[in-house]
Amino acid sequence: MHRFARLVTLLCVATAITFAAGQSSGHRDVVIRNATVMTVSHGNIKNGSVYIRDGKIAAVAEAVSVPAGATVIDAQGKYLTPGIVDSHSHIALDDDVNEATSPVTPQMIMKDAFDYQDKAIYRALAGGVTTSLLLHGSANMIGGQAVVIKHKFGDKRDQLLFPSAPGSIKFASGENPKRVYGGRDQLPSTRMGNFAVQRAALVEAQDYMKEWDVYNDKVRRGDKDASPPKHDLKLEALADVLRGKLMVQIHCYRSDEMLTEMAMAKEFGYNLRAFHHALEAYKIADQLAANNVGIATFADWWGYKNEAWDAIPWNAVMAMRKGVRVAIKSDSEDYTRRLNQEAAKTIRYGGATEEEALKMITINPAWIIGVDDRVGSIDVGKDADLVIWDGHPLSSTGVPSKVLIDGEVYFDRSLPGFGTTHYKEGE
Amino acid sequence: MQPSAISFLPSVIGPHRSSKKYSVILSGAERAKQSSAQPKDPYKLIYPIGRVQAFSQVTAALLVLLVAALATTSSLAQNAIALKGGRLLTVTHGTIENGTIVMQGDKITAVGPARSVTIPANAQVVDVTGMTIYPGLIDSETQLGLTEINAEQMTNDLVELSDEIMPHMHVYDAFHAESALIPVSRLNGITNAIVAPESQDTIPGQDSFIQLAGRDATEMLLIRDIAMPINFTGDQRRNKGGFDKRKFPSTRMGLIAQMRQALLDARDYQAKWADYERKKSEGPAPGEDKTKGADKSKEDKSKKSPPMAPKRDLKLEALLPYLDGKKTIVLAAENPSDLETIVHFANEFHLKFVLNHISHSQPVLDYVASLKVPVIVGPIYEAPKDDERYDAVYSLPAQLYKRGVKIAFASYSAHNVRNLPDAAGFATAFGLPYDEALKAITLNPAEIWGVADKLGSLDAGKTANVVVANGDPLDMKTDVKQVYIEGKAIPMTSRQTHLRDEYSK
Repeated sequence: MHRFARLVTLLCVATAITFAAGQSSGHRDVVIRNATVMTVSHGNIKNGSVYIRDGKIAAVAEAVSVPAGATVIDAQGKYLTPGIVDSHSHIALDDDVNEATSPVTPQMIMKDAFDYQDKAIYRALAGGVTTSLLLHGSANMIGGQAVVIKHKFGDKRDQLLFPSAPGSIKFASGENPKRVYGGRDQLPSTRMGNFAVQRAALVEAQDYMKEWDVYNDKVRRGDKDASPPKHDLKLEALADVLRGKLMVQIHCYRSDEMLTEMAMAKEFGYNLRAFHHALEAYKIADQLAANNVGIATFADWWGYKNEAWDAIPWNAVMAMRKGVRVAIKSDSEDYTRRLNQEAAKTIRYGGATEEEALKMITINPAWIIGVDDRVGSIDVGKDADLVIWDGHPLSSTGVPSKVLIDGEVYFDRSLPGFGTTHYKEGE
Repeated sequence: MQPSAISFLPSVIGPHRSSKKYSVILSGAERAKQSSAQPKDPYKLIYPIGRVQAFSQVTAALLVLLVAALATTSSLAQNAIALKGGRLLTVTHGTIENGTIVMQGDKITAVGPARSVTIPANAQVVDVTGMTIYPGLIDSETQLGLTEINAEQMTNDLVELSDEIMPHMHVYDAFHAESALIPVSRLNGITNAIVAPESQDTIPGQDSFIQLAGRDATEMLLIRDIAMPINFTGDQRRNKGGFDKRKFPSTRMGLIAQMRQALLDARDYQAKWADYERKKSEGPAPGEDKTKGADKSKEDKSKKSPPMAPKRDLKLEALLPYLDGKKTIVLAAENPSDLETIVHFANEFHLKFVLNHISHSQPVLDYVASLKVPVIVGPIYEAPKDDERYDAVYSLPAQLYKRGVKIAFASYSAHNVRNLPDAAGFATAFGLPYDEALKAITLNPAEIWGVADKLGSLDAGKTANVVVANGDPLDMKTDVKQVYIEGKAIPMTSRQTHLRDEYSK
C-alpha cells in the first residue's frame, strides 16, 4: 500500500511536469492567479487572474478557469502591471549612438548597431522594462531610424526585435546639433542653421521623389529609353518620412522650437509623433494636444544645460491635463532600471492618479512607438508582457519580482545569480 | 528700514532673508485674516509669502514692506511655533503618533505625545493632524552652490583641474548662496548638506557643511573646511587621449607617489615652522645689544642670526590639520583594489577618515567593516559591473548595515539633491531596515560630520530644522508641505514653483 502510494505520487509528478510543459494541449498556457491586476485600460482587479495562451493575453478576470496542463503562477496578492515601455533609450548600441559626421544621416539604421547581449538590456528587464525604442542620439538634425526591442535577454538577436513594429526616425533640434557642428565651424551653429539644414534636407527629398515620379510615369507610359534616377539611401529614407512611412520622433526642449517643428511638419506633411525631452511642454500644452503630438519627458531632470533651465517637475501632469499623451522615458542606462519610480513622482508633482502615472510608462510610450495595439495594457489579445511586483510599483520600494515577455518568465528575482531564465552566466 | 529689505520680496527664490521679517509676516494681523479665510488647511497659515506673491502686484510689495517696517522687534521672532497632532519620526526615540513639537527661536524646545507637551501661551499652533514630521534631511555630498547650469562652464566652480593636489581650494570661496538650486532642494526637506568639489582630482579641495537657508553665504556656511576628500577611483589619472597627450600622474602609481610626496612635504613644512617658532620663542641671546655700533658685523658672524620665517605655502598649510588627524578625510574608492590601496596610504600617514562610494567593493565588505569607519555609500544607482547581479549596488547599504557599518546617503548631485530620500527608500527594498534608512539621511550624517548635538533628530535642544510632509519621507510620492530651518517657516517657493504658477494661470 505504502509503495503503491509512492508510485501514484511519482506518476502525478510526472504528469504535472508533462502538463507544465504544455504538451498536452499543444498550447503554452500560463495562468497568473491571486494578483492585484493593474490593467491600465480598465481599472484594477483585486484577486485577479490573467490567462495567457501562446504568449498572448487570453483572459483577464477575477477568476479564470485553469486549463489542464497550464503553468500556474501564484502572485500571492502582489501587484501585476503591463511590462514597462521605455520610449527613449540608447542602450545596447555600444556607443554607436551618433553618426556625428554629418548633420543629416537618415539612412543610419540603429538595428545595425544593436548589441543584443548588452547587459544593460538585462538590467532594464530586472527593472520591469519589456519594450524599448532605441533611438539615434541628438548630435544630428536628422539622426537615423530607430529599432524597437523586447528585453528577451538571453535569446538570440532576432528574438529581441519587436516583430513588425512601425518605423521611427529621430530628429533633433536646439543645443546639441549647434554644439557638435558649431564646434567644428560647420553648419549648423545656430538654431537658424539647425532649421535651415532640416528644411533643405526635406526639400531635397521632395525633389528626389519628383524625379522618381517622373521616371515611373515614363515607364508607365511605355518609354523604354527612360533611365532611372540614382538610388540615394539618404533621400530614400527622407522620402519615407514624407510618405508617412516613418514616424518622426524629435528631440526638442524649448517651447518655441516645438512650435517651429510642428509648423514644419505641417508644411512638409509628415507624421510628427512625439517630442522627446519636451521640458517646456507645459508652456504650450494646448497646442501639442491640438496637433496630437505626444511627449516623452523626464519626471524631474533639469538644469543640466541652458535649454533645460525652465524644466519643472509638474511638466508631465500639466501637459497631461491639457490632453497631451505623456510618457516618462529614461534616456539613460540608469533611469531605465526604475522608470516606475520616475512615474510615481507625477503623483507628487501635480497629483496624477496611480493609473495616470502608470500610463506614462506603459500605454502612452507604447503609443509613441506605435505598438499600443500590441503592448502597454493588460487586455485580451495583447502580448503577455507582464510584471509582478514586490511592493507597490509606484513607490520607492516597488521592484519587480517576476517579468514575463510573450508569456514567458525572463526574470525572476528569487532565482540566484542574475535571476534570468534564458541567460546563463558566462555565456 | 534697510534698503535691502526690498530684495527679500521677490527673491524668496534665493535663500531666505532676515528671520525677523519672516516672523512679522507669519504672526501679524495678515496671518489671522488668512487663517479665518482658510480654516481647513493649516498650511495656509505658514506659507503666507507664497500667498502674498500670488497678488504679484506692487501693492503686495508695499504691504509687505509696511508690515516688515512696523514690526522689526525681536520679540515676535522669538514666538514659539507648536506643530500639534502629527506623526513624529524622532529618529532617536521612535515614532510618536499624535505628537507635538515646539520650536522657539532657532531651537526645538519640546517633543512628545500631544497630551504631555505643554504649548507656551504665546505659541502659534499649527494643526498637523495626518502629517508626518521628521528632522531636516542631511545630504552627505553635493555640489550645491558650485554650479547652476552644468553645460554652461561659466556657471561651474566644481573642480580646479590645473593640478591634482589642491587642498587649498575651499568650496566656501565659490559657494553661491543665491543659487536657484537651493530652494528647489530644500522644498523636499533637505536642510543641510556637505558641499564638496568634484572628484577629478585626488585632492580637489576642502568641503563645507551648509544650511540650505540664510541671509547670505556667511549664515549658510555652518562649518568651513569640515573635511577633505581624497579620491582614488582611477578617474583622477591624467591618461586621456594617446600616449603623447598623457601627463603625470597618468597611473595609480603616479597618483599615490604624488600624494605621498605632498604629505611628506607638508610634514617637512610643519617641522620647518615648528623649528622657526621654537627659535623665535627662544629670542635673542641674553646681553646682546643691537644698538652697539663699531664691531657689529664682526660680532654678528659669531652669533646666531635671528630666525627667518619659512615661506608660507598655502597648499602644504592646508594639509596640516588632516596630517595631524584633527580633521576628517573622505576617502573615495570603488573597487576592492583601489579601496585597499588608499586605506593603506591613509594608514601610512595615520589619517582620520571615512569611506566614500565603495560601489563595487562587495567582495571585501568584511574588510570594510573591520576598519570601523562610517561609509558614505553609493550612489546606489551606480550601474553594476557586467559580471554583477542587477542589484549588486542597490543592496550595498543593507550589506554594510548587516556588518555593523554606520552608513549615510548622498545625492552626489546639485540639481537632484531633492531626491536624496528616494535612494534611502529604495535601499529598503533591498534589505535595509526602514529606521536605518531614515537614520542614514538624518542622525548618521549628523554624527559623521560632528553636528549630532544640533542636528539629525527631533530632540529638545537641537536646531529646529523640521519637515512637515503628507506621508512617508522615503517615498517619492510624499509631498513636503512645510520646511522649518532654524525655527523659521521657509517659503515653499522656488524658481520652479514660479514657472508652474505662471503657466497655470
